[in-house]
Amino acid sequence: MRSSDYLFIFLGSFLVVYIILPIAVTITLQIFDLSMLLKALQDERVLEALWNTLITSTATMFISLIFGVPLGYVLARKDFKGKSIVQGIVDVPIVIPHSVVGIMLLITFSSAILDNYLGIISAMLFVSASFTINSARDGFLAIDENLEHVARTLGASKLKTFFTISLPLALPSILSGAIMTFARAMSEVGAILIVAYYPKTAQILVMEYFENYGLRASRPIAVLLILISLAIFVALRGIVGRRRHAQA
Amino acid sequence: MLKLENVSKDWKEFRIRDVELEVERKEYFVLLGPSGAGKTLLLETIAGIHTPDSGRIYIDGIDVTELPPERRGVGYIPQNYALFPHMTVFENIAFGLKIRKLKNFDETVRELAKILGIDHLLHRKPKTLSGGEQQRVAIARALAAQPKILLLDEPFSNLDVQIRSKLIEEMRRWRKEFGFTAIHVTHSFEEAFSLADRIGIMLDGRIVQIGKPNEVFLNPKGEDVARFLGYENIFEARSDGTTIRFGDVELTSRVHVFGRVKVAIRPEDVIISKSNGNFEAEVESIENLGFTSKITLNLNGLKLRALTVTSKIIEEGIKNGDSVFVSIKGFKLL
Repeated sequence: MRSSDYLFIFLGSFLVVYIILPIAVTITLQIFDLSMLLKALQDERVLEALWNTLITSTATMFISLIFGVPLGYVLARKDFKGKSIVQGIVDVPIVIPHSVVGIMLLITFSSAILDNYLGIISAMLFVSASFTINSARDGFLAIDENLEHVARTLGASKLKTFFTISLPLALPSILSGAIMTFARAMSEVGAILIVAYYPKTAQILVMEYFENYGLRASRPIAVLLILISLAIFVALRGIVGRRRHAQA
Repeated sequence: MLKLENVSKDWKEFRIRDVELEVERKEYFVLLGPSGAGKTLLLETIAGIHTPDSGRIYIDGIDVTELPPERRGVGYIPQNYALFPHMTVFENIAFGLKIRKLKNFDETVRELAKILGIDHLLHRKPKTLSGGEQQRVAIARALAAQPKILLLDEPFSNLDVQIRSKLIEEMRRWRKEFGFTAIHVTHSFEEAFSLADRIGIMLDGRIVQIGKPNEVFLNPKGEDVARFLGYENIFEARSDGTTIRFGDVELTSRVHVFGRVKVAIRPEDVIISKSNGNFEAEVESIENLGFTSKITLNLNGLKLRALTVTSKIIEEGIKNGDSVFVSIKGFKLL
Protein backbone atom coordinates (compact mmCIF):
# COMPACT_ATOMS: atom_id res chain seq x y z
CA MET A 1 0.00 0.00 0.00
CA ARG A 2 1.08 3.55 -0.62
CA SER A 3 1.51 6.07 2.11
CA SER A 4 -1.53 8.00 0.81
CA ASP A 5 -3.64 4.89 1.49
CA TYR A 6 -2.48 4.92 5.10
CA LEU A 7 -3.43 8.57 5.37
CA PHE A 8 -6.97 7.82 4.20
CA ILE A 9 -7.27 4.83 6.51
CA PHE A 10 -6.02 6.85 9.44
CA LEU A 11 -8.31 9.82 8.81
CA GLY A 12 -11.23 7.58 7.95
CA SER A 13 -10.89 5.57 11.14
CA PHE A 14 -11.19 8.58 13.39
CA LEU A 15 -14.95 8.97 13.20
CA VAL A 16 -15.58 5.24 13.36
CA VAL A 17 -13.58 5.02 16.58
CA TYR A 18 -15.19 8.16 17.87
CA ILE A 19 -18.66 6.59 17.46
CA ILE A 20 -17.76 3.22 18.91
CA LEU A 21 -15.71 4.48 21.83
CA PRO A 22 -18.43 6.07 24.01
CA ILE A 23 -20.77 3.14 23.36
CA ALA A 24 -18.09 0.63 24.31
CA VAL A 25 -16.91 2.56 27.35
CA THR A 26 -20.44 3.09 28.68
CA ILE A 27 -21.38 -0.56 28.29
CA THR A 28 -18.06 -1.82 29.67
CA LEU A 29 -18.28 0.34 32.79
CA GLN A 30 -21.81 -0.89 33.34
CA ILE A 31 -20.65 -4.49 33.22
CA PHE A 32 -18.43 -3.72 36.23
CA ASP A 33 -21.44 -2.18 37.94
CA LEU A 34 -24.00 -4.91 37.34
CA SER A 35 -25.87 -4.28 40.56
CA MET A 36 -27.04 -0.87 39.34
CA LEU A 37 -28.18 -2.40 36.08
CA LEU A 38 -30.18 -5.08 37.90
CA LYS A 39 -31.65 -2.44 40.13
CA ALA A 40 -32.71 -0.41 37.15
CA LEU A 41 -34.33 -3.48 35.61
CA GLN A 42 -36.45 -3.82 38.73
CA ASP A 43 -37.26 -0.13 38.88
CA GLU A 44 -40.85 0.21 37.71
CA ARG A 45 -40.34 3.80 36.63
CA VAL A 46 -37.54 2.68 34.33
CA LEU A 47 -39.52 -0.19 32.84
CA GLU A 48 -42.56 1.94 32.27
CA ALA A 49 -40.49 4.67 30.64
CA LEU A 50 -38.84 2.13 28.32
CA TRP A 51 -42.27 0.76 27.41
CA ASN A 52 -43.55 4.27 26.71
CA THR A 53 -40.61 4.97 24.44
CA LEU A 54 -41.11 1.75 22.49
CA ILE A 55 -44.85 2.07 21.92
CA THR A 56 -44.73 5.75 20.99
CA SER A 57 -41.81 5.18 18.58
CA THR A 58 -43.62 2.23 17.03
CA ALA A 59 -46.81 4.23 16.66
CA THR A 60 -44.84 7.07 15.09
CA MET A 61 -43.30 4.65 12.61
CA PHE A 62 -46.68 3.29 11.53
CA ILE A 63 -48.23 6.72 11.20
CA SER A 64 -45.28 7.85 9.09
CA LEU A 65 -45.79 4.80 6.87
CA ILE A 66 -49.52 5.31 6.41
CA PHE A 67 -49.13 8.94 5.39
CA GLY A 68 -45.55 8.98 4.15
CA VAL A 69 -45.66 6.18 1.58
CA PRO A 70 -48.47 7.72 -0.51
CA LEU A 71 -46.71 11.08 -0.31
CA GLY A 72 -43.43 9.50 -1.39
CA TYR A 73 -45.22 7.88 -4.34
CA VAL A 74 -46.75 11.17 -5.44
CA LEU A 75 -43.39 12.93 -5.16
CA ALA A 76 -41.75 10.20 -7.23
CA ARG A 77 -44.35 9.81 -9.95
CA LYS A 78 -46.34 13.00 -10.36
CA ASP A 79 -45.32 16.35 -11.73
CA PHE A 80 -47.36 19.19 -10.37
CA LYS A 81 -47.03 22.87 -9.63
CA GLY A 82 -45.35 23.49 -6.31
CA LYS A 83 -43.80 20.04 -6.15
CA SER A 84 -40.44 21.45 -5.13
CA ILE A 85 -42.17 23.44 -2.41
CA VAL A 86 -43.79 20.28 -1.06
CA GLN A 87 -40.42 18.54 -1.21
CA GLY A 88 -38.91 21.45 0.70
CA ILE A 89 -41.62 21.30 3.37
CA VAL A 90 -40.91 17.61 3.89
CA ASP A 91 -37.28 18.42 4.67
CA VAL A 92 -37.98 21.43 6.92
CA PRO A 93 -38.15 19.49 10.23
CA ILE A 94 -34.52 18.44 9.76
CA VAL A 95 -33.32 22.03 10.05
CA ILE A 96 -35.52 23.29 12.91
CA PRO A 97 -34.05 22.98 16.41
CA HIS A 98 -36.06 20.37 18.28
CA SER A 99 -36.86 22.53 21.27
CA VAL A 100 -38.38 24.99 18.79
CA VAL A 101 -40.45 22.15 17.32
CA GLY A 102 -41.83 21.52 20.82
CA ILE A 103 -42.70 25.17 21.29
CA MET A 104 -44.41 25.35 17.88
CA LEU A 105 -46.46 22.23 18.51
CA LEU A 106 -47.52 23.46 21.91
CA ILE A 107 -48.53 26.86 20.57
CA THR A 108 -50.53 25.22 17.78
CA PHE A 109 -52.23 22.33 19.55
CA SER A 110 -51.91 23.51 23.18
CA SER A 111 -53.65 21.33 25.73
CA ALA A 112 -54.64 18.65 23.23
CA ILE A 113 -51.08 17.33 23.21
CA LEU A 114 -49.85 18.54 26.59
CA ASP A 115 -48.45 15.72 28.71
CA ASN A 116 -50.10 12.79 26.98
CA TYR A 117 -49.18 10.01 24.55
CA LEU A 118 -50.53 12.04 21.65
CA GLY A 119 -48.06 14.76 22.58
CA ILE A 120 -45.11 12.39 22.55
CA ILE A 121 -46.14 10.94 19.20
CA SER A 122 -46.79 14.40 17.72
CA ALA A 123 -43.30 15.51 18.68
CA MET A 124 -41.73 12.31 17.37
CA LEU A 125 -43.67 12.38 14.10
CA PHE A 126 -42.73 15.96 13.35
CA VAL A 127 -39.01 15.34 13.61
CA SER A 128 -38.84 11.86 12.07
CA ALA A 129 -41.44 11.49 9.30
CA SER A 130 -39.11 12.92 6.60
CA PHE A 131 -37.01 9.77 6.68
CA THR A 132 -39.92 7.55 5.67
CA ILE A 133 -41.21 9.99 3.06
CA ASN A 134 -37.82 10.48 1.40
CA SER A 135 -36.89 6.81 1.40
CA ALA A 136 -40.28 5.88 -0.02
CA ARG A 137 -39.83 8.50 -2.73
CA ASP A 138 -36.34 7.20 -3.58
CA GLY A 139 -37.63 3.64 -3.58
CA PHE A 140 -40.40 4.46 -6.05
CA LEU A 141 -38.05 6.57 -8.18
CA ALA A 142 -35.73 3.58 -8.55
CA ILE A 143 -38.49 1.47 -10.11
CA ASP A 144 -38.56 1.36 -13.91
CA GLU A 145 -41.84 3.04 -14.84
CA ASN A 146 -42.24 0.55 -17.67
CA LEU A 147 -43.00 -2.11 -15.05
CA GLU A 148 -46.03 -0.13 -13.97
CA HIS A 149 -47.03 0.59 -17.56
CA VAL A 150 -46.88 -3.07 -18.51
CA ALA A 151 -48.91 -4.07 -15.45
CA ARG A 152 -51.56 -1.58 -16.50
CA THR A 153 -51.76 -2.97 -20.05
CA LEU A 154 -52.12 -6.45 -18.53
CA GLY A 155 -55.31 -5.31 -16.88
CA ALA A 156 -54.24 -4.00 -13.49
CA SER A 157 -55.82 -0.76 -12.29
CA LYS A 158 -53.64 2.03 -10.91
CA LEU A 159 -54.26 0.89 -7.37
CA LYS A 160 -53.70 -2.78 -8.14
CA THR A 161 -50.47 -1.89 -9.93
CA PHE A 162 -49.35 0.04 -6.88
CA PHE A 163 -49.93 -2.90 -4.56
CA THR A 164 -48.64 -5.68 -6.82
CA ILE A 165 -45.67 -3.94 -8.48
CA SER A 166 -44.61 -0.60 -7.03
CA LEU A 167 -45.02 -1.27 -3.33
CA PRO A 168 -43.30 -4.67 -3.19
CA LEU A 169 -40.36 -3.34 -5.21
CA ALA A 170 -39.99 -0.20 -3.10
CA LEU A 171 -40.45 -2.07 0.16
CA PRO A 172 -36.78 -2.46 1.13
CA SER A 173 -36.25 1.26 0.69
CA ILE A 174 -39.48 2.10 2.53
CA LEU A 175 -38.58 -0.19 5.42
CA SER A 176 -35.12 1.28 5.81
CA GLY A 177 -36.73 4.71 5.93
CA ALA A 178 -39.16 3.43 8.55
CA ILE A 179 -36.25 2.14 10.63
CA MET A 180 -34.67 5.56 10.51
CA THR A 181 -37.98 7.12 11.55
CA PHE A 182 -38.26 4.66 14.43
CA ALA A 183 -34.67 5.31 15.54
CA ARG A 184 -35.06 9.05 15.23
CA ALA A 185 -38.33 8.95 17.17
CA MET A 186 -36.75 6.93 19.92
CA SER A 187 -33.90 9.38 20.29
CA GLU A 188 -36.04 12.51 20.31
CA VAL A 189 -35.72 14.56 23.49
CA GLY A 190 -35.95 18.30 22.82
CA ALA A 191 -39.50 18.49 21.51
CA ILE A 192 -40.86 15.87 23.92
CA LEU A 193 -39.31 17.69 26.85
CA ILE A 194 -41.47 20.70 26.07
CA VAL A 195 -44.67 19.01 24.89
CA ALA A 196 -44.94 15.95 27.09
CA TYR A 197 -42.68 15.58 30.08
CA TYR A 198 -45.20 12.99 31.15
CA PRO A 199 -45.99 10.17 30.42
CA LYS A 200 -42.33 9.61 31.08
CA THR A 201 -40.25 8.20 28.22
CA ALA A 202 -36.88 6.57 28.77
CA GLN A 203 -34.92 9.29 27.03
CA ILE A 204 -36.48 11.89 29.38
CA LEU A 205 -35.97 9.65 32.40
CA VAL A 206 -32.23 9.44 31.68
CA MET A 207 -32.07 13.21 31.92
CA GLU A 208 -34.14 13.31 35.05
CA TYR A 209 -32.04 10.68 36.82
CA PHE A 210 -28.88 12.45 35.75
CA GLU A 211 -30.08 15.77 37.14
CA ASN A 212 -31.47 14.33 40.37
CA TYR A 213 -29.13 11.44 41.18
CA GLY A 214 -26.08 11.89 38.96
CA LEU A 215 -24.21 10.01 36.29
CA ARG A 216 -24.05 6.60 37.95
CA ALA A 217 -27.82 6.47 38.40
CA SER A 218 -28.62 7.49 34.84
CA ARG A 219 -26.09 5.17 33.23
CA PRO A 220 -28.10 1.91 33.45
CA ILE A 221 -31.04 3.48 31.62
CA ALA A 222 -28.66 4.84 29.04
CA VAL A 223 -27.17 1.39 28.58
CA LEU A 224 -30.61 -0.19 28.22
CA LEU A 225 -31.58 2.39 25.63
CA ILE A 226 -28.35 1.77 23.72
CA LEU A 227 -28.91 -1.98 23.72
CA ILE A 228 -32.54 -1.77 22.67
CA SER A 229 -31.78 0.74 19.92
CA LEU A 230 -28.91 -1.30 18.58
CA ALA A 231 -30.86 -4.55 18.72
CA ILE A 232 -33.83 -3.16 16.82
CA PHE A 233 -31.57 -1.35 14.38
CA VAL A 234 -29.54 -4.47 13.60
CA ALA A 235 -32.61 -6.70 13.37
CA LEU A 236 -34.49 -4.43 11.00
CA ARG A 237 -31.40 -3.74 8.89
CA GLY A 238 -30.93 -7.47 8.63
CA ILE A 239 -34.47 -7.96 7.36
CA VAL A 240 -34.17 -5.18 4.83
CA GLY A 241 -30.75 -6.36 3.72
CA ARG A 242 -32.02 -9.87 3.11
CA ARG A 243 -35.03 -8.65 1.14
CA ARG A 244 -32.80 -6.49 -1.02
CA HIS A 245 -30.48 -9.39 -1.56
CA ALA A 246 -33.33 -11.74 -2.45
CA GLN A 247 -34.53 -9.35 -5.12
CA ALA A 248 -31.17 -8.65 -6.68
CA MET B 1 -58.85 -3.01 -36.13
CA LEU B 2 -56.63 -0.17 -34.94
CA LYS B 3 -57.22 3.29 -36.28
CA LEU B 4 -55.45 6.52 -35.42
CA GLU B 5 -56.93 9.81 -36.54
CA ASN B 6 -54.73 12.87 -36.48
CA VAL B 7 -53.02 11.91 -33.26
CA SER B 8 -50.59 14.46 -31.84
CA LYS B 9 -48.74 14.43 -28.55
CA ASP B 10 -45.83 16.32 -27.01
CA TRP B 11 -44.05 14.61 -24.19
CA LYS B 12 -40.68 15.63 -22.77
CA GLU B 13 -38.35 16.04 -25.73
CA PHE B 14 -40.46 13.74 -27.94
CA ARG B 15 -43.41 14.46 -30.15
CA ILE B 16 -45.79 12.85 -32.60
CA ARG B 17 -47.66 14.90 -35.16
CA ASP B 18 -50.94 14.26 -36.97
CA VAL B 19 -50.45 10.53 -37.10
CA GLU B 20 -52.94 8.74 -39.36
CA LEU B 21 -52.67 4.99 -39.25
CA GLU B 22 -54.84 1.95 -39.84
CA VAL B 23 -53.73 -1.56 -38.99
CA GLU B 24 -55.81 -4.53 -40.11
CA ARG B 25 -56.62 -7.60 -38.04
CA LYS B 26 -53.74 -10.09 -38.03
CA GLU B 27 -51.53 -7.61 -39.80
CA TYR B 28 -47.90 -7.25 -38.75
CA PHE B 29 -47.08 -3.58 -39.10
CA VAL B 30 -43.50 -2.40 -38.69
CA LEU B 31 -42.86 1.21 -37.84
CA LEU B 32 -39.40 2.20 -39.01
CA GLY B 33 -37.59 5.33 -37.99
CA PRO B 34 -34.40 6.73 -36.52
CA SER B 35 -34.13 7.10 -32.76
CA GLY B 36 -35.89 10.17 -31.46
CA ALA B 37 -38.52 10.03 -34.20
CA GLY B 38 -41.29 9.46 -31.65
CA LYS B 39 -41.85 5.74 -32.28
CA THR B 40 -41.91 4.77 -28.61
CA LEU B 41 -44.15 7.71 -27.75
CA LEU B 42 -46.57 6.57 -30.44
CA LEU B 43 -46.66 3.03 -29.01
CA GLU B 44 -47.14 4.36 -25.48
CA THR B 45 -49.96 6.56 -26.69
CA ILE B 46 -51.68 3.61 -28.36
CA ALA B 47 -51.19 1.62 -25.15
CA GLY B 48 -52.85 4.36 -23.15
CA ILE B 49 -49.83 5.37 -21.12
CA HIS B 50 -50.23 8.85 -22.59
CA THR B 51 -53.40 10.60 -23.65
CA PRO B 52 -53.03 12.37 -26.99
CA ASP B 53 -53.08 16.18 -27.04
CA SER B 54 -55.40 15.88 -30.03
CA GLY B 55 -56.81 13.19 -32.32
CA ARG B 56 -58.68 9.94 -31.69
CA ILE B 57 -57.66 6.31 -31.31
CA TYR B 58 -60.04 3.45 -32.14
CA ILE B 59 -59.61 -0.23 -31.40
CA ASP B 60 -62.19 -2.52 -32.99
CA GLY B 61 -64.29 0.49 -33.75
CA ILE B 62 -64.42 1.64 -30.15
CA ASP B 63 -63.01 5.06 -29.29
CA VAL B 64 -60.37 4.28 -26.66
CA THR B 65 -58.74 7.73 -26.65
CA GLU B 66 -59.75 8.42 -23.06
CA LEU B 67 -59.61 4.85 -21.76
CA PRO B 68 -56.89 3.81 -19.30
CA PRO B 69 -54.42 1.12 -20.43
CA GLU B 70 -56.15 -1.64 -18.45
CA ARG B 71 -59.33 -1.20 -20.48
CA ARG B 72 -57.81 -1.16 -23.96
CA GLY B 73 -56.86 -4.80 -24.44
CA VAL B 74 -53.44 -3.89 -25.71
CA GLY B 75 -50.29 -5.93 -25.09
CA TYR B 76 -47.19 -3.81 -24.59
CA ILE B 77 -43.61 -5.06 -24.68
CA PRO B 78 -41.17 -2.25 -23.92
CA GLN B 79 -37.62 -2.28 -25.20
CA ASN B 80 -36.19 -3.48 -21.89
CA TYR B 81 -39.01 -6.07 -21.60
CA ALA B 82 -39.87 -4.78 -18.10
CA LEU B 83 -40.24 -8.21 -16.52
CA PHE B 84 -41.39 -7.98 -12.92
CA PRO B 85 -38.14 -8.66 -11.02
CA HIS B 86 -39.83 -9.80 -7.80
CA MET B 87 -41.82 -12.53 -9.54
CA THR B 88 -40.83 -15.82 -11.11
CA VAL B 89 -41.26 -16.41 -14.83
CA PHE B 90 -44.48 -18.28 -14.05
CA GLU B 91 -45.85 -15.41 -11.97
CA ASN B 92 -44.86 -12.95 -14.68
CA ILE B 93 -46.77 -14.82 -17.37
CA ALA B 94 -49.72 -15.44 -15.05
CA PHE B 95 -49.96 -11.77 -13.97
CA GLY B 96 -52.61 -10.70 -16.48
CA LEU B 97 -54.63 -13.87 -15.92
CA LYS B 98 -54.58 -13.56 -12.15
CA ILE B 99 -55.58 -9.90 -12.30
CA ARG B 100 -58.67 -10.91 -14.22
CA LYS B 101 -59.24 -13.75 -11.79
CA LEU B 102 -59.33 -16.31 -14.58
CA LYS B 103 -59.49 -19.93 -13.50
CA ASN B 104 -57.13 -22.55 -14.93
CA PHE B 105 -54.44 -19.97 -15.47
CA ASP B 106 -51.91 -22.61 -14.52
CA GLU B 107 -52.69 -24.58 -17.66
CA THR B 108 -52.67 -21.52 -19.91
CA VAL B 109 -49.28 -20.39 -18.60
CA ARG B 110 -47.72 -23.83 -19.09
CA GLU B 111 -49.11 -24.19 -22.58
CA LEU B 112 -47.82 -20.78 -23.67
CA ALA B 113 -44.46 -21.40 -22.07
CA LYS B 114 -44.16 -24.64 -23.97
CA ILE B 115 -44.87 -23.06 -27.34
CA LEU B 116 -42.37 -20.29 -26.63
CA GLY B 117 -39.77 -22.78 -25.37
CA ILE B 118 -39.48 -21.42 -21.86
CA ASP B 119 -41.33 -24.14 -19.95
CA HIS B 120 -38.09 -25.17 -18.21
CA LEU B 121 -37.62 -21.63 -16.81
CA LEU B 122 -40.96 -21.16 -15.05
CA HIS B 123 -39.51 -21.19 -11.52
CA ARG B 124 -36.65 -18.80 -12.32
CA LYS B 125 -36.41 -15.08 -11.58
CA PRO B 126 -36.05 -12.78 -14.62
CA LYS B 127 -32.56 -11.56 -13.59
CA THR B 128 -31.15 -15.05 -14.07
CA LEU B 129 -32.32 -15.28 -17.70
CA SER B 130 -30.47 -14.46 -20.92
CA GLY B 131 -31.71 -11.62 -23.12
CA GLY B 132 -33.39 -14.00 -25.54
CA GLU B 133 -35.13 -15.86 -22.73
CA GLN B 134 -36.31 -12.61 -21.18
CA GLN B 135 -37.79 -11.58 -24.50
CA ARG B 136 -39.73 -14.83 -24.78
CA VAL B 137 -41.10 -14.36 -21.27
CA ALA B 138 -42.18 -10.83 -22.14
CA ILE B 139 -43.99 -12.11 -25.25
CA ALA B 140 -45.61 -14.93 -23.28
CA ARG B 141 -46.74 -12.51 -20.58
CA ALA B 142 -48.30 -10.19 -23.14
CA LEU B 143 -49.97 -12.99 -25.13
CA ALA B 144 -51.37 -14.65 -22.01
CA ALA B 145 -53.66 -11.66 -21.52
CA GLN B 146 -55.02 -12.23 -25.06
CA PRO B 147 -54.55 -8.68 -26.30
CA LYS B 148 -56.31 -7.40 -29.38
CA ILE B 149 -53.06 -5.92 -30.56
CA LEU B 150 -49.44 -6.44 -29.57
CA LEU B 151 -47.12 -3.45 -29.35
CA LEU B 152 -43.44 -4.31 -29.57
CA ASP B 153 -40.80 -1.65 -28.96
CA GLU B 154 -37.45 -2.60 -30.52
CA PRO B 155 -37.95 -6.21 -29.43
CA PHE B 156 -34.67 -7.46 -30.86
CA SER B 157 -32.34 -4.54 -30.24
CA ASN B 158 -30.90 -5.86 -26.97
CA LEU B 159 -29.95 -9.22 -28.42
CA ASP B 160 -26.76 -10.29 -30.13
CA VAL B 161 -26.79 -10.94 -33.85
CA GLN B 162 -27.15 -14.72 -33.92
CA ILE B 163 -29.97 -14.83 -31.36
CA ARG B 164 -31.66 -11.99 -33.16
CA SER B 165 -31.93 -13.82 -36.49
CA LYS B 166 -33.17 -16.92 -34.73
CA LEU B 167 -35.82 -14.99 -32.81
CA ILE B 168 -36.97 -13.12 -35.90
CA GLU B 169 -37.46 -16.52 -37.52
CA GLU B 170 -39.41 -17.73 -34.48
CA MET B 171 -41.48 -14.59 -34.38
CA ARG B 172 -42.77 -15.48 -37.85
CA ARG B 173 -43.73 -18.90 -36.54
CA TRP B 174 -45.45 -17.52 -33.41
CA ARG B 175 -47.35 -15.14 -35.59
CA LYS B 176 -48.83 -18.04 -37.53
CA GLU B 177 -49.41 -19.97 -34.34
CA PHE B 178 -51.21 -17.19 -32.43
CA GLY B 179 -52.43 -15.02 -35.30
CA PHE B 180 -51.88 -11.78 -33.44
CA THR B 181 -52.06 -8.24 -34.75
CA ALA B 182 -48.85 -6.34 -34.07
CA ILE B 183 -47.15 -3.01 -34.33
CA HIS B 184 -43.43 -3.46 -34.16
CA VAL B 185 -41.15 -0.47 -33.78
CA THR B 186 -37.58 -0.67 -34.97
CA HIS B 187 -34.80 1.05 -36.85
CA SER B 188 -33.62 -2.21 -38.41
CA PHE B 189 -34.39 -2.76 -42.11
CA GLU B 190 -33.72 -6.45 -41.63
CA GLU B 191 -36.57 -6.79 -39.12
CA ALA B 192 -38.86 -4.74 -41.31
CA PHE B 193 -38.18 -6.90 -44.36
CA SER B 194 -38.41 -10.25 -42.61
CA LEU B 195 -41.56 -9.56 -40.60
CA ALA B 196 -43.67 -6.76 -41.97
CA ASP B 197 -46.84 -7.03 -44.01
CA ARG B 198 -46.63 -3.27 -44.31
CA ILE B 199 -44.19 -0.73 -43.01
CA GLY B 200 -44.50 2.89 -42.03
CA ILE B 201 -41.61 5.34 -42.02
CA MET B 202 -41.62 7.72 -39.09
CA LEU B 203 -39.51 10.86 -39.22
CA ASP B 204 -39.62 13.67 -36.70
CA GLY B 205 -42.97 12.67 -35.21
CA ARG B 206 -44.78 12.05 -38.48
CA ILE B 207 -45.52 8.89 -40.40
CA VAL B 208 -44.34 10.05 -43.80
CA GLN B 209 -44.81 6.94 -45.89
CA ILE B 210 -46.76 3.68 -45.55
CA GLY B 211 -46.70 0.68 -47.84
CA LYS B 212 -45.45 -2.83 -48.50
CA PRO B 213 -41.75 -3.09 -47.60
CA ASN B 214 -40.56 -3.36 -51.19
CA GLU B 215 -42.75 -0.52 -52.38
CA VAL B 216 -41.40 1.80 -49.76
CA PHE B 217 -37.76 0.79 -50.12
CA LEU B 218 -37.83 1.13 -53.88
CA ASN B 219 -39.95 4.25 -54.06
CA PRO B 220 -39.07 6.52 -51.18
CA LYS B 221 -41.25 9.59 -50.94
CA GLY B 222 -39.08 12.65 -50.54
CA GLU B 223 -35.48 13.29 -49.70
CA ASP B 224 -35.75 12.56 -45.96
CA VAL B 225 -37.24 9.12 -46.45
CA ALA B 226 -34.70 8.33 -49.16
CA ARG B 227 -31.83 9.39 -46.94
CA PHE B 228 -33.18 7.34 -44.03
CA LEU B 229 -33.51 4.28 -46.28
CA GLY B 230 -29.88 4.51 -47.32
CA TYR B 231 -29.97 6.56 -50.50
CA GLU B 232 -26.80 8.39 -49.53
CA ASN B 233 -26.29 10.19 -52.81
CA ILE B 234 -28.97 12.79 -53.41
CA PHE B 235 -28.44 15.51 -55.99
CA GLU B 236 -30.33 18.39 -57.51
CA ALA B 237 -30.50 17.72 -61.23
CA ARG B 238 -32.08 18.99 -64.43
CA SER B 239 -34.00 16.90 -66.86
CA ASP B 240 -34.86 17.63 -70.47
CA GLY B 241 -37.21 14.72 -70.91
CA THR B 242 -35.21 11.53 -70.65
CA THR B 243 -31.71 12.81 -69.93
CA ILE B 244 -30.96 13.86 -66.39
CA ARG B 245 -27.87 15.92 -65.71
CA PHE B 246 -26.02 16.86 -62.55
CA GLY B 247 -22.38 17.84 -62.54
CA ASP B 248 -20.68 15.85 -65.27
CA VAL B 249 -23.09 13.01 -64.87
CA GLU B 250 -25.75 12.13 -67.38
CA LEU B 251 -28.35 9.50 -66.67
CA THR B 252 -31.10 8.21 -68.85
CA SER B 253 -34.55 8.00 -67.37
CA ARG B 254 -37.28 5.72 -68.64
CA VAL B 255 -39.96 8.13 -67.55
CA HIS B 256 -40.30 11.56 -69.04
CA VAL B 257 -39.66 14.44 -66.66
CA PHE B 258 -38.78 18.03 -67.31
CA GLY B 259 -37.04 20.69 -65.26
CA ARG B 260 -35.62 20.42 -61.79
CA VAL B 261 -35.55 16.98 -60.22
CA LYS B 262 -33.84 15.22 -57.33
CA VAL B 263 -31.86 12.09 -58.02
CA ALA B 264 -31.28 9.53 -55.27
CA ILE B 265 -28.67 6.82 -55.68
CA ARG B 266 -27.87 4.02 -53.26
CA PRO B 267 -24.13 3.54 -52.62
CA GLU B 268 -24.41 -0.10 -53.72
CA ASP B 269 -25.69 1.11 -57.11
CA VAL B 270 -22.48 3.04 -57.67
CA ILE B 271 -20.12 0.58 -59.36
CA ILE B 272 -16.42 1.30 -59.51
CA SER B 273 -13.83 -0.36 -61.67
CA LYS B 274 -10.26 0.28 -62.82
CA SER B 275 -10.99 -0.90 -66.34
CA ASN B 276 -14.35 0.39 -67.52
CA GLY B 277 -17.28 2.62 -66.68
CA ASN B 278 -19.17 5.72 -67.79
CA PHE B 279 -17.46 8.44 -65.78
CA GLU B 280 -14.05 9.03 -64.30
CA ALA B 281 -13.59 9.88 -60.66
CA GLU B 282 -10.91 10.14 -58.04
CA VAL B 283 -10.93 7.96 -54.91
CA GLU B 284 -10.98 10.31 -51.93
CA SER B 285 -11.24 7.84 -49.09
CA ILE B 286 -11.89 4.20 -48.40
CA GLU B 287 -13.62 3.10 -45.22
CA ASN B 288 -13.27 -0.59 -44.55
CA LEU B 289 -16.42 -2.00 -42.91
CA GLY B 290 -15.27 -5.62 -42.97
CA PHE B 291 -16.82 -7.56 -45.84
CA THR B 292 -17.80 -4.33 -47.53
CA SER B 293 -16.08 -1.00 -47.93
CA LYS B 294 -17.47 2.46 -48.39
CA ILE B 295 -15.67 4.62 -50.91
CA THR B 296 -15.98 8.36 -51.28
CA LEU B 297 -15.42 9.45 -54.88
CA ASN B 298 -14.75 12.86 -56.28
CA LEU B 299 -16.42 13.20 -59.65
CA ASN B 300 -15.09 16.55 -60.80
CA GLY B 301 -16.21 18.27 -57.60
CA LEU B 302 -19.24 16.06 -57.04
CA LYS B 303 -19.02 13.79 -53.99
CA LEU B 304 -20.36 10.31 -54.63
CA ARG B 305 -20.46 7.41 -52.17
CA ALA B 306 -20.08 3.85 -53.31
CA LEU B 307 -20.37 0.57 -51.46
CA THR B 308 -18.55 -2.49 -52.68
CA VAL B 309 -17.21 -5.78 -51.41
CA THR B 310 -13.81 -5.32 -49.83
CA SER B 311 -12.32 -8.19 -51.84
CA LYS B 312 -12.87 -6.24 -55.05
CA ILE B 313 -10.86 -3.31 -53.71
CA ILE B 314 -8.03 -5.65 -52.80
CA GLU B 315 -8.14 -7.55 -56.12
CA GLU B 316 -8.15 -4.40 -58.23
CA GLY B 317 -5.67 -2.67 -55.94
CA ILE B 318 -7.79 0.46 -55.51
CA LYS B 319 -6.14 3.08 -53.28
CA ASN B 320 -6.74 6.65 -52.15
CA GLY B 321 -6.01 9.11 -54.95
CA ASP B 322 -6.49 6.52 -57.70
CA SER B 323 -8.47 7.36 -60.76
CA VAL B 324 -11.33 4.91 -61.32
CA PHE B 325 -14.26 4.43 -63.66
CA VAL B 326 -17.75 4.77 -62.27
CA SER B 327 -21.10 3.49 -63.51
CA ILE B 328 -24.44 4.14 -61.95
CA LYS B 329 -26.59 1.04 -62.00
CA GLY B 330 -29.79 2.43 -60.62
CA PHE B 331 -31.37 5.62 -59.31
CA LYS B 332 -34.64 7.07 -58.16
CA LEU B 333 -36.19 10.37 -58.99
CA LEU B 334 -37.72 12.00 -55.94
